[in-house]
Amino acid sequence: MSKGFSRRQVVAVTGLGLTAGFLVKKAEGQVVWQIDSKSCVNSKLGEVGVKVCDLCVKECVVTQSAVRAVNEFSKCGRCCVCPAYFNVKSAVGKDGLPSEKLCPRDAILRKPIGEVDPNDPANNFYEYVIDEAKCDGCGKCVMACKEPAGLGSIVLRVRHDLCVNCNNCAISQACPKDAITQWPALKAVLGLSETA
Amino acid sequence: MEYRHTRVMGGPESGPDWFRHAIRGLAAGRDGRLYAAGDSRVMVFDPAGKVLRTWATAKPGCCLAVAADGRVLVGEAGQVEIFSGAGQLLQAWRGGWLGEITAIGFHGAETLVADAAARCIRRYDSGLKKLNDIGLDNRTNGFLIPNGVLDFEVDAAGVIHAANPGKHRVERYQADGKLLGHVGRFDGLNPEGFPGCCNPTNVALGTGGRLVVTEKAESRAKVLDSGGKLVAVLGTRIFDAGCKNMAVASDFRGRVYVAETVKLRIFVFEPARAEAV
Repeated sequence: MSKGFSRRQVVAVTGLGLTAGFLVKKAEGQVVWQIDSKSCVNSKLGEVGVKVCDLCVKECVVTQSAVRAVNEFSKCGRCCVCPAYFNVKSAVGKDGLPSEKLCPRDAILRKPIGEVDPNDPANNFYEYVIDEAKCDGCGKCVMACKEPAGLGSIVLRVRHDLCVNCNNCAISQACPKDAITQWPALKAVLGLSETA
Repeated sequence: MEYRHTRVMGGPESGPDWFRHAIRGLAAGRDGRLYAAGDSRVMVFDPAGKVLRTWATAKPGCCLAVAADGRVLVGEAGQVEIFSGAGQLLQAWRGGWLGEITAIGFHGAETLVADAAARCIRRYDSGLKKLNDIGLDNRTNGFLIPNGVLDFEVDAAGVIHAANPGKHRVERYQADGKLLGHVGRFDGLNPEGFPGCCNPTNVALGTGGRLVVTEKAESRAKVLDSGGKLVAVLGTRIFDAGCKNMAVASDFRGRVYVAETVKLRIFVFEPARAEAV
């Protein structure tokens, strides 16, 4: 196989670079609202046994809120019994799994990875995907996924295609933990950590 | 069967001679002593809880085990250090062949190490030649350990009892890797089952074939009989709610030790009636 680059590859990479450069330049200086998951009570480590905070749903001026739950797959354990998907305190069904789901909007999809062992459903990994069209950012799954119950892979994020970027964000005004603040747009878009 | 909570060792006010960041491994020696690994040190206690000796490890210890000849093996990230009972470093196994070592056990002259990075138990002969892996031959290609700890113990008959928290089970294996069976099932309400996403996190063998396990998200310890039937729940609401991966050990008296991972304390429980030794 040739180690060199074809003319088409060079053109494609150059084009991508120019586009990225343009977007970076455009985003420079702009700020957007974003949630610091280390401050949000629903995801903050060490806050165990506290009530779920749903102010992102109640306070946002956007219908259904601009905040959504996001599952960071790199952290997800792909458990058979996900405490964010199931109400793990509900009665056990015939299949050996909890009989109720946790999400009031049924916004989490559970899909087996690979073929399910018909004799033993626990003998498998499962993928959990948030259906953002249904999610309203109520935070229940985020709290349930928080360590030590889960791995903390689900967090709340402001979706910038939905957020109207108010000068005075109503959620920010109400948040008891000051977890929603204005970030440089580039940092928020690139998904850099809050401390980066 | 009833257990009494008899003692707490350590805690935030224990001063500089106690663990400061983590207690990750416990082992009960045949001499009645308790061995604990955490931070980058090993501490040895007499049956009354008095510190007998302490020594440093090269890396933070994730687990430890006491061999029949009194050697102390400490599992760490990428290596196992072997000390004499007095704390003298005798040998270290290093190299790319070891991942995150979270449990160590013995099967005759062979050594078994739980490699959490590989999600399996590796079996080595006395010359450190790898004989086989245990727990890899299944649809999930290893144990389901979202908590990052793989724990096991070997009974007197050579059967390996390993926690498989993602499946809510304690599984039994032969040394050659054959799965013999399991106990446990999911149940978020009834303590007969294992709750949450992934429990039990840790396991130890008690007296009379009993299993002692710890759980997270409602931190607690439980004693099960050899058939998996619940015998006792230990320490409900006494462990910090944020605990997970609480190391557990049981000695020949039936005494149970649990390492609380948030406030760094070791809880001691004893059967209400003395066990036959």
